[in-house]
Amino acid sequence: MTTKHFACKADEVPQDAAKIVNVSNVPIGVFRLEDGFHALLNICPHKGAALCEGPVCGTTKQTDATEFVYDRAGEIVRCAWHGWEFDIRSGEFLVDPSVKTRRFDVSVEGSDLYVHI
Amino acid sequence: MFIVDCDCHNYWCSATVLEPYMEGLFKDMFVRGERTGPRGAFPHGHRPWFHPEGFARHDVNPVEEDDNYLIMKEKHLDKYNIDVAILTGDEPIEASTLANPYYANALCKAYNDYMIDYWLPKDDRFWGSIVVAPQDPHLAAAEIRRVGGHPRVVQVLVSHGASRPYGDPFYHPIYEACAEMGLPFAMHLGGQGGINANPVGAGPSTFFWETHAILPQTAMTHMASLIAHGVFEKWPSLKVVIIECGVAWVPSVLWRLDANYKALRKETPWLKRLPSEYFKDHIRLSTQPLEQPENIQHLWATLEAMDGENTLMFASDYPHWDYDDVNKLHVPPAWREKIFGLNALDVYTRLPRAAAQAAE
Repeated sequence: MTTKHFACKADEVPQDAAKIVNVSNVPIGVFRLEDGFHALLNICPHKGAALCEGPVCGTTKQTDATEFVYDRAGEIVRCAWHGWEFDIRSGEFLVDPSVKTRRFDVSVEGSDLYVHI
Repeated sequence: MFIVDCDCHNYWCSATVLEPYMEGLFKDMFVRGERTGPRGAFPHGHRPWFHPEGFARHDVNPVEEDDNYLIMKEKHLDKYNIDVAILTGDEPIEASTLANPYYANALCKAYNDYMIDYWLPKDDRFWGSIVVAPQDPHLAAAEIRRVGGHPRVVQVLVSHGASRPYGDPFYHPIYEACAEMGLPFAMHLGGQGGINANPVGAGPSTFFWETHAILPQTAMTHMASLIAHGVFEKWPSLKVVIIECGVAWVPSVLWRLDANYKALRKETPWLKRLPSEYFKDHIRLSTQPLEQPENIQHLWATLEAMDGENTLMFASDYPHWDYDDVNKLHVPPAWREKIFGLNALDVYTRLPRAAAQAAE
């Protein structure tokens, strides 16, 4: 059972970085992607760092040839400390999807953004 | 618990902070001469591998010079209750890459004066490393004697990238000065460009992550060389600290050294003991970045084989991309007090032991 909590104003969430909020003592990063807002726990499953404070970026697609296909621009966040790459929508670590940070549903009412914890 | 961080990087925003500490020719070179990057870059021969994301943690973003301390205090020293931070500078060890040893020495002198003047007074937890340019060991020795007597200086620091193995008699004037001043000699990962042309065996590797994983190769060479050349017979009080070069390789190299020595000791008749015995008495390694196997027991067996309880010292590498934090260090629980602080007291003898007792 989740509860809806006010996180921030929707227009406070930038395009190219997370808006870091603290909701009921839970540190959360809110992201703005093309398909809407997403929220992840701002604690890296690797070493506990502020995952969402790292750069929002893309990454190379896995290929069979020596080529560099830049993919998923704006859909990946790299942990602020050790640079592990996470899918912003699912919270999954790219190298091993069984390692993930918690994700939260987000809803917007008017100009207010809520996360569901 | 008493915590000594043996690798805490005191950053600057711009190397221009050194200008007030330089003079004459070398100040002109520093201000108007060519350098590796725009104004504010530290002159050095850069390594041929670029970190794809930059070195610093992305949650450490100083704007003004004083931010470097304020952020370190908030995000590291206070947060993890660090009792002692051994400052290891950052770019200055890259002076070892310059062909001109006189300029390299002038840069090191300026850094040491700046570190003593700007950083050490900022916080009671700070203890300093003086950086020297090993490509001219006589100048380096003179610099060790010039500032090595400062009561809050605890070690002499160089890059692990070097022009030749550190046991070579070429470098012995440095150890003479270290022993005379009662300071350990430390090497920190770095200096893989310029005149230090052989940081990895078989020629240059290609990618940053690949290379970073194998850079301990150079430390293996230095460890073997220091032992084989009898540095610890000549200076029985000398301690050597290997910083940020990994640790799990140590037992395998020691096993090989011991085996070869048993057969061929006649090449080095000045040695009196097994290589591994010199290691245990004289060489210490900082933990970060501690290897991370799937099965922790594999690592712990390796650490036991190198007497890790007594030869390892905690280091965070703040604020770099492969930072280790105090609460996550995966060493055997029974060894924690020694690795986190007590072992460092035996190496950095100027640290007051009372500080350790007060922290208990």
